[in-house]
Amino acid sequence: MHNIWLIARREYLERIRTKAFLVATILIPLLMGGFVFGSGYLASRTKSSAHIVVVSSDANFAADLKHELLTGKSSSMTVDLLAPSTSNGDDTRATLDQNLTSKHGDLTGYLWITPPSQSNTRPAFTYVPRSAGDVTTEDDLSAAIKNVITREGLTRQGMGASDIDALMAPVVIDTSKTGDSRTAFGAAYLLFFLMYMVIMLYGMNTARSIIEEKTSRVFEVMLSTIKPDEMLAGKILGVGSVGLTQIAVWMLAAAALGATPFATNLIGGGHAPISATQIFFFVIYFIFGFLVYSSIAAALGAITNSEQELQQLNMFLVLPLAFCFLMIFVITRAPDSTLAQIVSLIPFCSPLLMNFRISLTTVPPWQIGLSFVLMSLTIVSILWVASRIYRVGILMYGKKPNLSELLRWLKYS
Amino acid sequence: MSIVELQHVRKAYDTKIAVADLSFTIEPGSMFGLLGPNGSGKTSSIRMIIGITVPDSGTISLFGQPFHRSLLKRVGYLPEERGLYKKMKVMDQLTFLGQLHGLSATTASKRAHVWCEKLQITEAIHKKTEELSKGMQQKIQFISTLLHEPELIIMDEPFSGLDPVNAVLLMDTLVDLRKQGRTILFSTHRMDQVEKLCDNICLIHNSHLVLSGSMREIKSRYPVNRVLINFTGDDSFLNHSTIHSAKNYGGHAEIRLKEGADAQALLAAAIVKARVTRFEVMEPTLEEIFIEKVTETSQTPQSAGVHVNA
Repeated sequence: MHNIWLIARREYLERIRTKAFLVATILIPLLMGGFVFGSGYLASRTKSSAHIVVVSSDANFAADLKHELLTGKSSSMTVDLLAPSTSNGDDTRATLDQNLTSKHGDLTGYLWITPPSQSNTRPAFTYVPRSAGDVTTEDDLSAAIKNVITREGLTRQGMGASDIDALMAPVVIDTSKTGDSRTAFGAAYLLFFLMYMVIMLYGMNTARSIIEEKTSRVFEVMLSTIKPDEMLAGKILGVGSVGLTQIAVWMLAAAALGATPFATNLIGGGHAPISATQIFFFVIYFIFGFLVYSSIAAALGAITNSEQELQQLNMFLVLPLAFCFLMIFVITRAPDSTLAQIVSLIPFCSPLLMNFRISLTTVPPWQIGLSFVLMSLTIVSILWVASRIYRVGILMYGKKPNLSELLRWLKYS
Repeated sequence: MSIVELQHVRKAYDTKIAVADLSFTIEPGSMFGLLGPNGSGKTSSIRMIIGITVPDSGTISLFGQPFHRSLLKRVGYLPEERGLYKKMKVMDQLTFLGQLHGLSATTASKRAHVWCEKLQITEAIHKKTEELSKGMQQKIQFISTLLHEPELIIMDEPFSGLDPVNAVLLMDTLVDLRKQGRTILFSTHRMDQVEKLCDNICLIHNSHLVLSGSMREIKSRYPVNRVLINFTGDDSFLNHSTIHSAKNYGGHAEIRLKEGADAQALLAAAIVKARVTRFEVMEPTLEEIFIEKVTETSQTPQSAGVHVNA
């Protein structure tokens, strides 16, 4: 135990003191914060400020459309109405096209409405934008046109303007009894990705730190004093604590930021989207998840002799995570289905999926308990195998082991 | 009680036999040399002694008890491939390695300071290991194996890669440690180092034991028929009738006498023609014994012509 502690402490101190750790700890939350706040700020600002010309011979329709576009909830458009100058409108079209192709033109695009040839069909709509990528304006236009046509149709059926307004009002669903399910879901998603990221990051770090002894040839000194399993356990704990420290710093920073008035304004404030239970299970499952994936990484580190070789094998770390990612969709739809229950009990998936299920639904305690037992057993057995591979593999460096050799190594004491 | 005892130890990797039927004992307080050319099985043997690998058959005992990990607390080991944590500061590193051997942090650092002074690397104490020269790193590793004051010191090629000044410094340190009653086992392919330092040796070649025993006893088995002459002037005395074979390096000749020949007659002949500044009659060197042994044990041409890095 003392040796594990020594190894873990060295690993922890050496890593905490590096510049890379400092940079990652400070920069990543800054970038993430910048990203979240930045996109929030941008989203609040990205109303379409397009300048559009509607060309229509039907003045009523054009006026209705303008009204609809200007009252749209996220739009601050400028809309001009034009009637085609001649019967086919070639002159108008030419002027508008010229505006669009010119650098100094002020138009975002124009909508050309061709009246229907028969009275019971819809008119044809042609939108010519300055940039083909302007999807927002196009969407706004199509929604507005649809509304206008619906209104016209309803009016023609003899419905009054107030009735139509009442019919077209947006629907509000009251979720106050179950809590805001959208935020709860968002929080679960956020936790999932946070965990995914950290496991990827620190899992690989564990593998690398195990290779470190091989590349610097320290292992021979180490192995003449301590046992390989003590070494691996110490490494996993040491690197893991670094991960936990980093997460803790990030969480504290997030909490501090979240408390500022600026953030409460943006998020909406008033309620904590992540509950205490969620945080509790997140921490527990994070620790277990970290240990499970670190022990896989440790085994990978034990097999390989260099970073390059490790890169080739890191799919063993990524594949289970990718599987979890796929399963997240199944679980979202039916968190209590048999499939969801089974996959969330697989030790490689429990840390992510059981945690995810817990935040979505009520999971029976025996399943939570069982997932802990299964994960613990997995960790111990992977470590057992890894330390044997490490011990023997280390002294046979130079060539990569094949599967039959790996199996044979397990039999060595 | 012997400090180290190997009985019929054998180890094979796949089809390659690394060590075949090796037996020797090391007595307390002696300096033991494990000798052999590159790839002869020295490192494999040492790794088994300190339990990094396990022999396929045969037994190993340390301090009179069958091998057990707990006995390693009394052993200091310097591996052939040196390795230190590159990014760690020297003192942190030494303290850490000392602690792994069961010392407290304060004792480890106190002893490390004393040793750094002794080996003249005090100025390196606060540097990172990667900033140091190879020789300095080697000294640090050397210190790290001695911090816990082990009774048995095992060093695999301890002097390789060192300049003569530092090699002598480390040799003197080993001699001092031996005077304090420690037992030392070191391996080398440099026969000349062993002649000076060791009480007992074990010579292995192609994973087989070729020769073992006390240095004095081994040498006494061979006739005193080697002569070294440093001279200036005429070298025609090298055709003297007592000479079996001679190598003349120009002013320095290594001569092997015929059986029963008297060296004095050769000296008399030499001073007639040339001016002799050195005339030494001695046993064959370990290197000569080794080459002789290897050629007589294996008659196959490739192993007979084995090259010894001397």
